[in-house]
Amino acid sequence: MSNPFREDLVSRSRPEPCTVVIFGATGDLTHRKLIPALYNLAVDGELPTGVKIVGFARRDKSDEEFRSGLEELNRKVSRSGHDSEVWDQFINSVTYHCSEFTDDEGYASLAKRLDEIDAERGGKGNRLYYIASAPEFFDDILLHLKKAGLNEAQEGCWSRVIVEKPFGTDLKTAQHLNTVVNQTFHEKDTYRIDHYLGKETAQNLMVLRFANAIFEPLWNNKCISHIQITCAENLGMEGGRGGYYEKSGALRDMVQNHLLQLLSLVAMEPPTDLSADGVRDEKVKVIRSLRQWDTPEKVAKNVVRAQYTAGHVDGNAVPGYREEDRVSPESETEAYVALRLMIDTWRWSGVPFYIRMGKRLPKKSTEISIHFKDAPSVLFGALPSGLPGGNVLVIRIQPDEGISLRMVSKIPGTSLRLEPVKMDFHYATSFGKGSPEAYERLILDAIAGDATLFARRDEVEEAWRFIDHIEKAWHESDKKPPMAEFVAGSWGPSEADEMIKEDGNSWRRL
Amino acid sequence: MSSTIPDTCPELGIEVPIAEIDRELHKLWEQDDARTNASLMNLVVYTESSGGLLKNSRIINNLTRDNACRAILVEMDRDQEASLRAWITAHCHLSHGKKSVCCEQISFLLTGRATGRFRNTVFSHLNSDLPLIFWWQGELSDVFTVSLASVMERLIIDSALWADSSASFVRIQKAVEANPMLVIQDLAWTRCWQYRVGIAALFDDSVAQTLLEKIDTVRITYSSSNRNTALQILAWLAVQAGWSHAGELMFETRKGGRIEAFVEAGDDSAPIGLVELSSPETTVRVSQEKGSAHLMKEIESGDYRACSLSPSDPEEPAELVGQQLSRGGKNSLFLKVLPVFLDLLK
Repeated sequence: MSNPFREDLVSRSRPEPCTVVIFGATGDLTHRKLIPALYNLAVDGELPTGVKIVGFARRDKSDEEFRSGLEELNRKVSRSGHDSEVWDQFINSVTYHCSEFTDDEGYASLAKRLDEIDAERGGKGNRLYYIASAPEFFDDILLHLKKAGLNEAQEGCWSRVIVEKPFGTDLKTAQHLNTVVNQTFHEKDTYRIDHYLGKETAQNLMVLRFANAIFEPLWNNKCISHIQITCAENLGMEGGRGGYYEKSGALRDMVQNHLLQLLSLVAMEPPTDLSADGVRDEKVKVIRSLRQWDTPEKVAKNVVRAQYTAGHVDGNAVPGYREEDRVSPESETEAYVALRLMIDTWRWSGVPFYIRMGKRLPKKSTEISIHFKDAPSVLFGALPSGLPGGNVLVIRIQPDEGISLRMVSKIPGTSLRLEPVKMDFHYATSFGKGSPEAYERLILDAIAGDATLFARRDEVEEAWRFIDHIEKAWHESDKKPPMAEFVAGSWGPSEADEMIKEDGNSWRRL
Repeated sequence: MSSTIPDTCPELGIEVPIAEIDRELHKLWEQDDARTNASLMNLVVYTESSGGLLKNSRIINNLTRDNACRAILVEMDRDQEASLRAWITAHCHLSHGKKSVCCEQISFLLTGRATGRFRNTVFSHLNSDLPLIFWWQGELSDVFTVSLASVMERLIIDSALWADSSASFVRIQKAVEANPMLVIQDLAWTRCWQYRVGIAALFDDSVAQTLLEKIDTVRITYSSSNRNTALQILAWLAVQAGWSHAGELMFETRKGGRIEAFVEAGDDSAPIGLVELSSPETTVRVSQEKGSAHLMKEIESGDYRACSLSPSDPEEPAELVGQQLSRGGKNSLFLKVLPVFLDLLK
């Protein structure tokens, strides 16, 4: 049934009342991100009235203990602060359900609890399952949800699942997980979360490209020389992250998901409409069109992996990667990766895309830079100073979200000298109002049934297909490409500089 | 010289000759390279009440925290001797505790016969290419003309302050007919934004949806100066639900059902204290205690009761304008609701 009062009021899909079940409710993600996100939605009046939240985890806790732990952290991390009146109302809707992830009884009692909640609201209800547990439990949780019949929505209602990353560790495990998910939930009800897509600038990418007539005619190999995507982190393996990182590495942790998602938004064709599948159809075509680096030789030529050695970041001495906590002294895990990608489409033929991601780089920054071809040098090329480089459009994802455009200008004076100048747009400066956290937007979208900002099965699998060739060359081949080194606090290994230099380009200085 | 503004007025900044405004603004920015000049719009704040410039300068200081603009403040007083004075200043705020972001402000005081130079003076100081948002404070005077409205992108008014809302809205409608791109933003309408969002959210609930066809009573409570807002809510409910106005405060549903509305002023009410839609079985209610920062949203149907809080609408005009600016949009819903609202005003 439609809601006439929604019409013309808010330009977004309609979030409906539901029960949100969070698996892994005692974990860091739930405490630091999910509950604060739901609470902030409540503060803004965006959370539908009647939403209930059930935390599902193994530790023995009462509702009160669970709530008090959530409150303690919400006070520290909530974007909008902590309003006791709203919190009291909100937290009343939160309960705790203690069970092992593999315990049939636990799911049976969960089903009973959910039925009771539904009964309170007239017998039927929508359900959103958020799998925020450790990845090794994904299968168990999904299979038990199915076994208990919790995956099936009642007539006129829906039953959806949000799955956190990592979505597999390679193509095989991703396909397995996808199979299990799709045996349990319809693909249309499956929301694979990538919080990068919930960031304001990532969402603005499509607006920038397709709502401004000046960019699209230039967005191709005729005008663009190359594109760089950089994700720099100044942190290393603090807080015991080494244990997780050793199993993933920069390629699997960041490139397979976040950075390839950004790549697909930058490179995709205009979608036929703004529907979830309209957008995702175009995104997946980009990943599918990536030239495959399917031999160790191709990997060696187009991908550089590296580890940092001891150095200084932000003025502090930091250890090398292999000396980090919970990292093996013989580790073969990359803490830095740089790739040259080629997209074999009419639009992007001959345009290299460079992606680099690294830990212990000089600063934290994620950005996309579009490097346009130089203007013909017939007029100004003969000047002593020459032409000072081409136009660069930079889309900053974090921090200091915004967009800048570098262009060439004459320096005032009687002589003709040219220098680059920058036009800069900062979100924070132009729009004082803060953006909601990515998780707020994404959870609300899932409640509203809008999957546009979530990864689809084929996107995930195509991304793994590309990544797997590289992982295989690194770890299984006889001709393993070497592991490069760079000093912590520098901008990566010289091998990465050499790779981009082969094409006559250089990494953008951040 | 006007008696309302002292010779030295730090709140308005430096008094400058009209012809020197641009040059003086330029000098202002040259003083400190560390500041960023930000502007997304021209915001003209127009008042005919004495002392309005100072009051509005304080408002702009707050508004520019979230809404980067070139602010142009105008105070007109036809009863004084002819004079035209101008001041420039900048409102600077730390963005994320780091960068100093500043917005320019030009203030004009026009008195006596100099008021006739209003359009020339003001419009020659707009930032080019940026939209013109015109906040008209108080009653519409004869300065407001279709021709004036033709250069605006948005007109912000507050019909709660009007003695004769019907007559003023007729003038607004003429302005919209002449400039169909003009977006009208009535602060009386903005005052009930969260109420409308709250009602809409409650009707997402399947229990509340069963009420839609059976509503027989609507009850709205307001504080004395907010009758227009109350009637605009009622008009919105009627337009969205497809009820036709059947005289006084009676409505008829598409299926012929009768709905009686009670719109009542309450001495101790919040600006809008209650909006309640009910049938014999089900009640959907959004309410606000006077002074509370929250709205309570409730559904009651037999044993079923769901409730939640959401933020209340601000009461201060400056905050309402801030919300309006950050929300943007074409506000076509308001124009859709306007005819029924004007009908109810009669």
